[in-house]
Amino acid sequence: MKLSCLQENLNKGLGIIGRAVATRTTLPITQNVLISTDQSQLKLAATNLEIAISSWIGAKIENEGSITVPARIFTEFISSLPNDVISLNLKHHTLEIKCGRYEARINGLDAADFPPIPQVGDGFMTKILEEELKQAISQVAFAAATEESRPVLTGVQTEFEGSKLTLAAADGFRLAVHRSNLIEPVKDKVSMIIPAKAYHELHRLMSEPDQEIEITQNAQKSQVLFKLKNIEMVSQIIQGTFPNYSQLIPQTYGTKARIDVAEFQRAIKMASIFARDGSGIARVIVTPGATVEAGKITISARADEIGDNVGEIDALVDGEAAKIAFNARYLSDVLSVIKQAQVSLEVTTPSNPGVIRPVGVDNYDHVVMPMFVQW
Amino acid sequence: MPIKVLPPEVTSKIAAGEVIERPSSVAKELIENSLDAGAREIVIEAHNGGVSYLRVADNGCGLSAADVEVAVRRHATSKITKLDDLEHISTLGFRGEALPSISAVAEVEILTRDMGSSAATYLHLENGKIVSREKKSRPQGTSITVRHLFRSLPARLKFLKSSNTESSHIASLVSQYALAFPEVKFQLTIDGRNSLQTPGDGDLRTAVSAVYGLETAQKMLEVQGTDGFMYIQGLASPPSVQRSSRSYLSFFVNRRYVRNSILAKAVETAFEGLLMTGRHPVVILNVAIPPEEVDVNVHPSKLEVKFRNNSSVFTAALKVLRNTLAKSPLPGVRLESENADAQSLWERFPHASVALPSLQTLGQLSASYILAEGEGGLYLIDQHAAHERILFDQIMAQRARKQPDIQGMLEPLSIELSPSQEEVMKHYQGLLAEFGFTIEPFGSRTYLVRAVPAMLDGSNLVETVKELLDEIGAEQDAGQRELKAAQSLACHGAIRAGQQLNSQEMQNLIKQLEHTSQPRTCPHGRPTMIHLSSQQLKKEFGRTG
Ligand SMILES: Nc1ncnc2c1ncn2[C@@H]1O[C@H](COP(=O)(O)OP(=O)(O)O)[C@@H](O)[C@H]1O
Ligand SMILES: [Mg+2]
Ligand SMILES: [Zn+2]
Repeated sequence: MKLSCLQENLNKGLGIIGRAVATRTTLPITQNVLISTDQSQLKLAATNLEIAISSWIGAKIENEGSITVPARIFTEFISSLPNDVISLNLKHHTLEIKCGRYEARINGLDAADFPPIPQVGDGFMTKILEEELKQAISQVAFAAATEESRPVLTGVQTEFEGSKLTLAAADGFRLAVHRSNLIEPVKDKVSMIIPAKAYHELHRLMSEPDQEIEITQNAQKSQVLFKLKNIEMVSQIIQGTFPNYSQLIPQTYGTKARIDVAEFQRAIKMASIFARDGSGIARVIVTPGATVEAGKITISARADEIGDNVGEIDALVDGEAAKIAFNARYLSDVLSVIKQAQVSLEVTTPSNPGVIRPVGVDNYDHVVMPMFVQW
Repeated sequence: MPIKVLPPEVTSKIAAGEVIERPSSVAKELIENSLDAGAREIVIEAHNGGVSYLRVADNGCGLSAADVEVAVRRHATSKITKLDDLEHISTLGFRGEALPSISAVAEVEILTRDMGSSAATYLHLENGKIVSREKKSRPQGTSITVRHLFRSLPARLKFLKSSNTESSHIASLVSQYALAFPEVKFQLTIDGRNSLQTPGDGDLRTAVSAVYGLETAQKMLEVQGTDGFMYIQGLASPPSVQRSSRSYLSFFVNRRYVRNSILAKAVETAFEGLLMTGRHPVVILNVAIPPEEVDVNVHPSKLEVKFRNNSSVFTAALKVLRNTLAKSPLPGVRLESENADAQSLWERFPHASVALPSLQTLGQLSASYILAEGEGGLYLIDQHAAHERILFDQIMAQRARKQPDIQGMLEPLSIELSPSQEEVMKHYQGLLAEFGFTIEPFGSRTYLVRAVPAMLDGSNLVETVKELLDEIGAEQDAGQRELKAAQSLACHGAIRAGQQLNSQEMQNLIKQLEHTSQPRTCPHGRPTMIHLSSQQLKKEFGRTG
């Protein structure tokens, strides 16, 4: 293998695939990156066996070939080179790197020993605008469970039906559901559970909002491929059945309050200061307004022996007075991913779930189970 | 005081009974007599578990030829004379029963000489009768030799354990007296072997060293304090010293060795959460209390006492012990030199109070330990143990308020229990509810969890519930069950080793730890942090001599 490329491109490509390099592993070669020529481009790839990321950069290929080299050393060396032409030359198992007056030799391992990057191209396929998918991921993936004991909950239920894509994640205490539009309708309803971790990585790779992303499932329904511009990410699909979440979304409410997101966030943040020393309880009291004046919401927290705080914000309240306690973190998590200026908070009783939705769009439901406290 | 036979109105008020159960009961009575006689040196010798031979010799005041004849009679004592005296007993003996009881079940030789006599009196008793008298020579003091215990009572003999067991009873008894009377030189020989020897220099620590070893003795913390009319003094082990049996608790009330559940409870409470479960400290407590505040006349072998006011004794002991423990040192980091100067590591660190020095986090090690810099050096904090302590305190506070913080489940979590877990679940559903669990039966051995304690972060809830049930089920001691449950919950709710923390999270953790009752140990008694002092660093790097 012999080729040359620009330091800037190689560095960027390595940055993209870097997150898929295994950190703790029983298979040492997964701490390497795969470098190979692919027609007139240089293909870089890494996998930790849960996800695989490949990235293509422009290069001038003299001889075809491939090798794997330790990711950390290679990436560090490349990133410290000046932005100039780099030439890569493979001699036996040693990759020779030259850039201006700098050069290095890194011993590699045979590319044939690298776990094959899954080929996904034979099953269901659809397309979505990057911007849509990015927002869906950001509003849903954080609500997935982080532990392994109920594997399906560590994933995001991903459903394609007609021209809709629905993402849903739940961790036992909260549920996030987001609906977005596909570029073209799909023929059959397809659903798969994609690890939240993979979505987090995908989210990180998205940088061109207007770009189309191609989503392909393999025929065995075990893997899914996301094809971005010059980047591909393959993820394992979590096997199992995602719980029926739609029944968890309350259909009615006793009290609905419209609140300014920024103010709500500030009040929650202040409550968190006191709440974090206890169990993180933020007590929310909704008071309807009189005919002319606005209603309000008070948010309070207290910590044994430390103190307490109360914050009050204006709200447009529909329905009766209500009180309910939430884990402050759950509220701040959801508020931080809402782009709209206002949200609505719907509650029924102090022991029934509350629902938060952005005002002005109808594509997101966030359900949070309250904490049971003495008032 | 002359020895007199007590009048019937007094003897009828004495909690009498068979006091001689086994060889160690003989040793106990004889040692108490020696101590009452003001002995500064007591030599005990036993053969064959004390059954064939047991001798106690002292350098106490001794007895005159006339007195010794009275002493062996029933209810003959020099220690009390009238009923009133029972109200404020300051001697160990007071019933005048030991010598006659012993001589009724064994062959006894008494050799004694008091100050005024030019020669010692020798008496030989069989079946409680004096069979010979002689004049012999002996310095002031008394030796009593007891042979062939229970020879005439084969039934009693049958109840004795192996001679090893009986010997060990004697040894632990002598140990207790050695701890109670550090100013008395004790020497115990068992089957010709030197088993215990205390210097009798009046220092409790050297007595502890003789009994439990130098290492333990050096680590023991000074206990001292007064509360109202009580004065409590002694030694207690730091949490780093742990024993698997309660037998390392020694209580002396007005210098009498006693078993006492009130004091035991105070120790247990003081050490709660500092020791691993099933572990016990080493504690020696001397309680000085006005004689009228305590009734010693409740148990045939005087092993138990009754306080007039149990709760004030409990409170006082707890307070004094807590003050001591608050000063307990952090386990120090020992680098290479295991033995060289290990002691100084403990002492260089100022342990003014239980509060932590103010700590600045430096980073995280192995995603498990927080490195922090504070007054006097480097601190390594075990993130799991530290968080466990924080949560444990929160759980206990919530329990005290009878108000657990509960997080509802959006969707009930179904768990399948083993048959034994189900039994525990049925029995202790109430206890689980008190901790914040709402769990309902749902078909055979399946249960639905509808709400959980808020401190659980939601991970591994199924495991958490199951292990909690196992722990509760395994705990025999009802009083410990609650504690076990709290420990188990704290452990499951706590961040695990291997979890990356950002600097904000680390700083928060330390801040919360500072506010806990025992920031230096986790609820299982393991340390939350270790300390590498600046001096030690200097020394290890060869910057100082
Ligand atoms: N080792 C001893 N030294 C001096 N006096 C002793 C000794 N042992 C027993 N006596 C005397 O014998 C008396 C009777 O002893 P004992 O039967 O044990 O009754 P008590 O100890 O209850 O008085 C004691 O009161 C004491 O005066
Ligand atoms: Mg006596
Ligand atoms: Zn622990």
